[in-house]
Amino acid sequence: MESQPLLSVHLSAGYRGKPAVLKDVCFEMQRGEVLSLVGQSGCGKSTLALAVLRLLHWKQATAKGRIVFNGRDLMAVSERQMRAMRGRDIALVLQSPLSALNPARRIGAQLEEAWQIHRRTSVTERLDAVHATLRQVSLPSDRAFLRRYPAELSVGQAQRVLIGMAILHRPALLIADEPTSALDIVTQAEILELFSRLSHDLGIGILYISHDLLSVAAISNRVAVMDQGRIVECQPTARLFTRPAHPFTQKLIAALPAMPQFGCAAQAQIA
Amino acid sequence: MKTMRAVALVFLAAVLAASIAANWIAPASYARQFRDQPDAAPSAQHLLGTDDLGRDRFSRLLYGTRISLLLAPAAALMSTVLAGAIGGAAGFAGGWIEVCVTAATDLFLSLPWLFLLITVRACLPLNVSPVVSVAITFVLLGCLGWAAAARVVCADVRSFRNSDFVLLARASGAGGARLLMRHLVPNLAPVLAAQFWISIPVFILTEANLGILGLGVAEPLPSWGSLLRELESFSAYSAQPWLFAPLLLLVLTVSSFQIVLHNEEVAG
Repeated sequence: MESQPLLSVHLSAGYRGKPAVLKDVCFEMQRGEVLSLVGQSGCGKSTLALAVLRLLHWKQATAKGRIVFNGRDLMAVSERQMRAMRGRDIALVLQSPLSALNPARRIGAQLEEAWQIHRRTSVTERLDAVHATLRQVSLPSDRAFLRRYPAELSVGQAQRVLIGMAILHRPALLIADEPTSALDIVTQAEILELFSRLSHDLGIGILYISHDLLSVAAISNRVAVMDQGRIVECQPTARLFTRPAHPFTQKLIAALPAMPQFGCAAQAQIA
Repeated sequence: MKTMRAVALVFLAAVLAASIAANWIAPASYARQFRDQPDAAPSAQHLLGTDDLGRDRFSRLLYGTRISLLLAPAAALMSTVLAGAIGGAAGFAGGWIEVCVTAATDLFLSLPWLFLLITVRACLPLNVSPVVSVAITFVLLGCLGWAAAARVVCADVRSFRNSDFVLLARASGAGGARLLMRHLVPNLAPVLAAQFWISIPVFILTEANLGILGLGVAEPLPSWGSLLRELESFSAYSAQPWLFAPLLLLVLTVSSFQIVLHNEEVAG
């Protein structure tokens, strides 16, 4: 992995009334890698997700530092260039799927629009892209389904629609901010399986943000542990679970009821 | 309730149809003066009698209904568009713009409107042409109604601005115009539509009130407001109960509107 990293972050960020939410957070991600970011609620994980997309100012927060994506410092590009990259090169999946879809618009219209933002193509090409992405996330792509409103979907289906929307342009990086925490355990497993498959088949790098260590173990190549705005430890998944170095990581792992099942990514590391 | 609603709808449709067909139904023009019979009692020729200038009251009621029923929705449209634009822009922009607009709205809502309208009337020349008077009434109604609605819209847009789906649209690369047209407008449409419909009966009443102040539609054009002015002198109508016809029509129309709208709300 000597090649140029996909993403390299060195960042501090804060809100107006809460100045140091991220303190010199520093990590790198390789192409196609699944990096998990774990930590307790409120430790700055979601702030980091928005900071990478440079959307923090909408939450009245400011960020300082460097975010190098594909060799380009995102902190230095113009808003216009940044907008062209959002959704096309870096995509986001949010925690609660039903509130992340516009309640007043049909699924099909929302998917088509996500395509149109970055591509001006014919209607057939656009619909083909929408159908293809829905197949990829194992959803029906018939007319009746596309004409549904978000309220007519199950939470799992809605999350698949959002993941489909996120991979529509084959981004190099997908930021998933607690994408499974609103789902029941069976749907969670399905979505995790979907993420692994997408990362494997399409080579999408996934920054997987979660507080759920079990899902993290199942999906990631490496895990970064965050505590109070700092990354305290970053290790390959199997090593982190078997030999945690930092006291906070040890505490997290000790709180697990049983040792997790590793996904294929971590199993390869053990072998 | 269903029958009530059906009756109200039929009544509104009939009133609207009659007013639109005024050119054909009305026995005389609204301005024609039968000088030989002023202040006549109802008869076969003049169903509601004639006024002090000898004009046929029934014809004036038909033409007046047309003006009031056209003016109110037009003004409702204007105030809804104003409310959507002002409230929407404030809620969307946030920060100091929202603070300023909210302050302006509060100020607007706390003005003593009756006195202001009388002042406006005093500033205008005594004889305004009918067309100008209709335009002034339209603008006044439109300006009167936007403030309360703008607040509702502003609060709605503010909650959209902070919503997950707008955040996600931004994260998908959507710019300001796209957010506005594709995300905010579809979500605001039901609120604005409700605002439009509930404004109509209010504006019908307001136009009537303006007419009494002499601010409404000017002579010789009739409107409900100007027809109601005939009720100003008690001695006149105690002997002529048919003068109540415009009032009756106004009350029936506005309550029909309320019945229909209420049922609409209950039905969701």
